[in-house]
Amino acid sequence: MARHARFLIGRLAGYVAVVLVGITFIFIIPRLLPVNPVEAMLGRMMSQGAYMQEDQVKALREALSDAFGLNGTLLEQYLGFLRRTLLSQDFGPSLAMYPTPVKELIGQALPWTFGLLLASVLIAWVVGNALGLIIGTMPDSRTSRMLEAVAIIFYPIPYFILALVLSILFSYVWKVFPLTTTVRGAPWSWELVWSIVYHSFLPAVSIIAVTFGWWMLSMRALSSTLMDEDFVVYARLKGLARSRVLLRYVLPNAMLPQVTFLALQLGLMFNGSIIAEIVFSYPGVGSLIYTAILQGDYNLLMGTVSLSIVAVATATLLVDLLYPLLDPRIRHR
Amino acid sequence: MRLRTWIAAAALAAIGWAEAAWSQGMTDVGTPRKETLVVDILTGRVGNPRRMNPYLEGNALVQGLHQLGYSILWEIDTVKGTQYPALAATLPEALDDSFTKWRFKVRKGLAWSDGAPFSSADVVFTARMALDNPKLPYHRFIVNNIKDIRATDDETVELETVNPLPKLTYSFGAVIFGNSFRVVPKHIWEKVDPLTFENYPPVTIGPYKLKDSDPNGFWFLWEKRDDWQRTDVGQLVGEPKPKYVLFRSYGPEEKRVIAMAQNEIDILTDITPEALEILRLRNPKVKAWYDAFPWANLDDPCQRGISFNATTAPYDKWEVRWALALATKIDDVSIATFSGMLRASPIHVPPISILMKSYHEPMTAWLKGFALPDGYKPFDPDYALRMGKRLAAERIEGLPKDEAGLRQLFGVGWWKHDPAKARQLLESVGFKKNGNAWLLPDGTPWKMTINAPADFEIQSQRLAFAVANEWKKFGIDVNVQQQQGGVFATEYATGNFQAGSYWNQNCAIGPDIWVRLEWWHERYVSPNGQPASFNRERYKNPEVSRIIEQMARLPVTDPKNVEQGTALLQELVKGMPVIPMFGTSKFVPVNTTYWKNYPSASNYYEGPWWWWSNFKYIVARLEPAQ
Repeated sequence: MARHARFLIGRLAGYVAVVLVGITFIFIIPRLLPVNPVEAMLGRMMSQGAYMQEDQVKALREALSDAFGLNGTLLEQYLGFLRRTLLSQDFGPSLAMYPTPVKELIGQALPWTFGLLLASVLIAWVVGNALGLIIGTMPDSRTSRMLEAVAIIFYPIPYFILALVLSILFSYVWKVFPLTTTVRGAPWSWELVWSIVYHSFLPAVSIIAVTFGWWMLSMRALSSTLMDEDFVVYARLKGLARSRVLLRYVLPNAMLPQVTFLALQLGLMFNGSIIAEIVFSYPGVGSLIYTAILQGDYNLLMGTVSLSIVAVATATLLVDLLYPLLDPRIRHR
Repeated sequence: MRLRTWIAAAALAAIGWAEAAWSQGMTDVGTPRKETLVVDILTGRVGNPRRMNPYLEGNALVQGLHQLGYSILWEIDTVKGTQYPALAATLPEALDDSFTKWRFKVRKGLAWSDGAPFSSADVVFTARMALDNPKLPYHRFIVNNIKDIRATDDETVELETVNPLPKLTYSFGAVIFGNSFRVVPKHIWEKVDPLTFENYPPVTIGPYKLKDSDPNGFWFLWEKRDDWQRTDVGQLVGEPKPKYVLFRSYGPEEKRVIAMAQNEIDILTDITPEALEILRLRNPKVKAWYDAFPWANLDDPCQRGISFNATTAPYDKWEVRWALALATKIDDVSIATFSGMLRASPIHVPPISILMKSYHEPMTAWLKGFALPDGYKPFDPDYALRMGKRLAAERIEGLPKDEAGLRQLFGVGWWKHDPAKARQLLESVGFKKNGNAWLLPDGTPWKMTINAPADFEIQSQRLAFAVANEWKKFGIDVNVQQQQGGVFATEYATGNFQAGSYWNQNCAIGPDIWVRLEWWHERYVSPNGQPASFNRERYKNPEVSRIIEQMARLPVTDPKNVEQGTALLQELVKGMPVIPMFGTSKFVPVNTTYWKNYPSASNYYEGPWWWWSNFKYIVARLEPAQ
């Protein structure tokens, strides 16, 4: 029992440390850059050309300094930042989409990214692993060689090229899918569901096409190695059915690294698949990160990166905690 | 085999269904394409589409609210550069000689989009709302300008200003882009807290009302009001033909270009010349401002050039700034920036049609006679002729044949390319040439950094590189530092720059150039390190400040404005705090598949500023093309 508690406390302490260090870096890095979000905001307002008087600009400067949390000493700002981010996930207003709070923007974008990437990552994972298992255990069949060739063709294609090609082919040459995401329909209606599926189809295909190849090839390598292991050879010689050998002996052992990587993939999901979202104008977290980088929106960048740190750290923690359940060897260590 | 057949059939059915949906002629927001004008959103996707309170600074307004929803008391005629009454029925009448008491009438028979009548009470309420709410960002402006305001009847507004305000219509009417004083409906806003009110859906006064919007902020659909006659646009122009106006963001330039190539969008805000070239080749229905060279509209009210921090050595010396001007071969800069599709400007206001008539052309004689203190005359009146010859040799079609036409297209001239004179000026203030490299007066190599926008404001970005190339050839070690928007603006405001391709300071649209040029007053100068609201070049010139103060005392319509403006420009030429170079060339294509009668060089009834408040008057003149 004490051993279990030690294991749990150690992992939790590591988790807290990773999150704190990550968030501290996020606070420090923007302050080392030569940008003042207030002046950036004022510059943007004034470049639109509307008539302004000096007092008006001064009043705005004061209001914006307050809104961006730039008043007080560095330590006061840091403590305020920790309190706001950790307790209420408040990263202040977005500069690019001022005055919308970063929290609100992320809240709007998360379901889109979550829906798109969860579905595509899981589909790619299931399909890739299932096919990888088959071709790993039947390496000489024609189907295996064909599937392997497909995976090898798609896997190295740079992601943005595939996304652009899909977009040009299916939104311009043949106008089957839309150029941008225009979701319509009443809440919880079939029209809305259909609209979301229709608009998410191309982005999802682009993610699945590029990622399933890696899952397939890695699973093929794992399963073909396992097929030569003594315990699998013994099971086959014992006369067990082929399906039973695959599902009870090969698959569970091949799955461990795949599960670990899946968990990390799901953690990284909160970053969004930036390129897919940009190319298809998809309203997810990836689009937000792109906007934040392009317009120097540090609050938004801090918000999205913090989310990513917490998500990856949480996913790693969950894998750490789940591993003993999946692998008896770790349970007994 | 049977499975494959099923898959193929399903795929074909899906493609057929999707293509059928498109070919029904509907937009993807469900409106008939033929009845919908589709317009690019200038600033892209809107963060929170429900925030439509125009009095909370920073809320996005160019999704149609600014262009179609609200109207302004006095609007700008972008062709003449003069203001005219829009929501107001008259220009304001001064009731005393000191320009502190004013009266004007509002237009009769107007109504808000919910049917409530519009009256002078709405104007007074809006001003009082800002006066009574110190936390509103607009409060400081109004409290500094308005002492008292009242409605004497449903049509008449009387107001008293804190100080003499002869240019009242600049403070409360459109000059460039619009004005922050947007009249709101009293019957709605008197019941809400303006500091927290979302204003969604907004009750507006323009000829369109908001029908629907995308929760993700990619599109906003505006529908023509049934009672469009009860709007200023209805009274001044007539019935707008598009039933719907859809403002939408397609994302990066490639997507916007594809959207216009396949007729999904009618109006694009601003693209590169290369993108325009692609569009013209892909879709013959796409039209630029001109039907031939230079394609772009040249009448943007801000001009481009190189600014200097006038408090940082060696740029604090006029001799250095003038030497840099004379070390620039402007012909090559023009070609390198936008392949010659630029109109040059030797003075500190943009070379737009109106100002060419008011300043550039009348000042040409003075420019020819202008001499530096040692008697050297730097003006070169032949730039336009050389450019015409050079581009004709490159087989560019559509160039004017005559000298007057060339000067109209390329400008009245610029400064001579005279490296020998530039060298003399630098040596007069202690610079030395070591081989081909310049040394500062203290003997160290002259290294210079030009700040430039990174991947936005493409003309300024390219201009910085082209100018750097010229100055490198002259022997200066020049580096162009590309910066994203936040850094670019911060360094400009805090004076942390030597030189930069900034453009905010030299903007004007009408003969009275006071509005932006008053920023040159020395009272706005801040020490380096502290943000400056205006005069970010930190240029101090008592004579410039004196003229600006005189101009501030003149009413907008006073003909002396041009006289004083000319004197101001002459002083700026002498000091050269910014080297003015070119007007801004805007590539603003339109698609004539569904709509026609857009403004253009041959049909110049408005400037193509789709993101300005006067856009509603352009919409009202469009005609269906099918």
